[in-house]
Amino acid sequence: MKLRKILLTVLLFLLTFILAVPCFADRGVTKDTIKIGIINQKTGPASALGLPHSYGTIDYFEYVNEQGGIHGRKIVVIFEDDQFEAPKSVALFNKLIHRDEVLTITNCGGTNQTIANMENIKKYKTPNIPNTTAREFWEPYNPYLYSMGCSYEGQYQCMVDYIFNDLKAEKPRIGVVYAKKEYGKIGLEATRERAKAYGVDLISELVLPTGAVDASSQILTLQQNNVDYVITCDILPPIVTFLKTAEKYNYNPKAIFGFNWAADPSIVQACGNAAKNFIGVNYVGSWTDNAPGINLMRDLAKKYGRDLKLTSLYLNGAGAGMIFVEALKRTGKNLNSDTLKEAFETLRNFETGGVFPPVTYTSKSHAPPEMVKLFKADVPNKTLVPVTDWRKPREMKK
Amino acid sequence: MACLITLPIWSDPFIVYLIILSCIATIAALGLNILTGLTGQISLGHAAFFAIGAYCTAIASHRFDMPFWICLPASAFLSAFIGLLLGLPCLRLKGLYLAMATMSFGVVVEYVVITWDKVTYGVRGISVPTLSLFGYPLDSNNKIYYFLLAVVVVMVIGGTNLVRTRVGRAFVAIRDKDVAAEAIGIELTKYKVMAFTISSLYAGLAGGLYAYVMNYIHPEHFTFLLSIQYLAMIIVGGLGTILGSIIGAVFIVITPEIIKSLTQVLALLIPGMANKYNEEWNVAAFGLLIILFLMFEPKGLFGIWSRIKMCFKNWPFTY
Repeated sequence: MKLRKILLTVLLFLLTFILAVPCFADRGVTKDTIKIGIINQKTGPASALGLPHSYGTIDYFEYVNEQGGIHGRKIVVIFEDDQFEAPKSVALFNKLIHRDEVLTITNCGGTNQTIANMENIKKYKTPNIPNTTAREFWEPYNPYLYSMGCSYEGQYQCMVDYIFNDLKAEKPRIGVVYAKKEYGKIGLEATRERAKAYGVDLISELVLPTGAVDASSQILTLQQNNVDYVITCDILPPIVTFLKTAEKYNYNPKAIFGFNWAADPSIVQACGNAAKNFIGVNYVGSWTDNAPGINLMRDLAKKYGRDLKLTSLYLNGAGAGMIFVEALKRTGKNLNSDTLKEAFETLRNFETGGVFPPVTYTSKSHAPPEMVKLFKADVPNKTLVPVTDWRKPREMKK
Repeated sequence: MACLITLPIWSDPFIVYLIILSCIATIAALGLNILTGLTGQISLGHAAFFAIGAYCTAIASHRFDMPFWICLPASAFLSAFIGLLLGLPCLRLKGLYLAMATMSFGVVVEYVVITWDKVTYGVRGISVPTLSLFGYPLDSNNKIYYFLLAVVVVMVIGGTNLVRTRVGRAFVAIRDKDVAAEAIGIELTKYKVMAFTISSLYAGLAGGLYAYVMNYIHPEHFTFLLSIQYLAMIIVGGLGTILGSIIGAVFIVITPEIIKSLTQVLALLIPGMANKYNEEWNVAAFGLLIILFLMFEPKGLFGIWSRIKMCFKNWPFTY
């Protein structure tokens, strides 16, 4: 009797290991539908960014569905909320793959979330356009991550290039205000290195927490150190606080720079005159541009009743949606993870109608275009207007 | 036990993943229950020991390519050692003061992890290689599940035996009345510090396992809310009981899925409920569960389970 129990247990163990083989066959694709997952922030402090980004993607998919879908298949979106927490993002990734059986997941929520899901993305072959631009997503080559836009390093290099080459500053006093987050640290290091390449050291390096409600100590320090160019490495809400506090103390540097997660027309709407010296860097076109892709998304936002506070995030999500749709179209009827991956790698200077710079992916590189535009605040019209065309960071002599 | 062993065969892979998270939570909750439930020492810094264990495993495996049989024990013993160091100054503290001290310790650990980026990689986080069992990679959820199940069984047996020994009885005596315990010859210093050490050992081991399961850790994984979550597990499960730690851990881990499923069921009955699910309901749910259980069922789910068991045992009699 005891022996039978032992033998039964061993047999059960063996059966389990034999059956423990994950099955990927044509997940998420039926005759009529393509199931796609989105993990982003619906609630929590980062929902101000996550929601418009997701709506951009969802609205573009809905537009494509209204046009007849992709080869007769409609896109069904399952949108999950990770509250900007990596463990939740990993749990939701597992749920979307195993329970909802989606074909792919367009993005995992952010830098940390995407890093946490890197093994999952490779294992379950889910082509993914991260809503973040960390260099480790394309260096080394990752077969299922397709980076968009410009790396944080590239954005900060463009800012410093602008100070020296466009504003023609001689011996500029540059200060950095950054968040103790991934993007903040990258921004600080990139600015420091680039300034050094021009022969200049940073005057101030100050932390501004993401949830800051006051920036008095940072402003007073910058004023004391006579900093005339401030480079910020923080998302929009604390930069609004920073600009308003600068106005309160009558601190008027020649320029205050912000990266893509702060470069949105809503910063001018929120700050008014306080944003007069603000220059934003973004790899997304301006909401007021007269370009086909941007015109379409403005119409869709109106049609679906989107009350958008951050239009650049909406365009960001829409651009990702456009790239996904193009890749889905190029797979033809035979759609699965592998054919989708191959389809992405056929994109050569693919245009998104002015939303993003032209996109190219190959079987050896999924790097982003590394191009940005710089936008200056137009206070009377409460928007940002481009002051440059698409540009890359300058090649510096070593 | 048969259900657990055969779980990957008959259940959804997502359920297996939830049970993996529950296994890790069980080990950590067991540790907290030994300290808070058995010994009566409230701790709001349990996430800090969990973090120490996770970072120890992450750094040892990522930077020094150490195998799991060095990383996991190192995590457990490092956390235990730091628990011992924390336990000594906390000896005279009770109640609110002890809670504040442990909470402050959690804040300090979070700060160190973010700032000491040469070692911990700070806000960039650390990738952790796949757990490999003497050359055999545990690269699927099913394989990790069995490994974790074995570890949980060992830790539960250890905890159960601890409760039955002289040490466990000393802990209970300290919880019930420390002055009386000292009067009958129980050394408060020794046993309180021992409670902190054992609790931290469990948390450190759970943290190490968490690092292997997630393959990536970041300071934001180990916030104060995690300490509250563990406290919720032992209150809801049953303070001072081993089975309560297990039930509470599983219940709290699957609560968000229960709420989501309830929303979907309600959506069939109430139009407009579809897609109304909000992740912030989980935070409210944890708070509500703690309040409800403290008010109406102080013995937690273990108390309910005990009554059900007694009812079946005595049936058709009531006692």
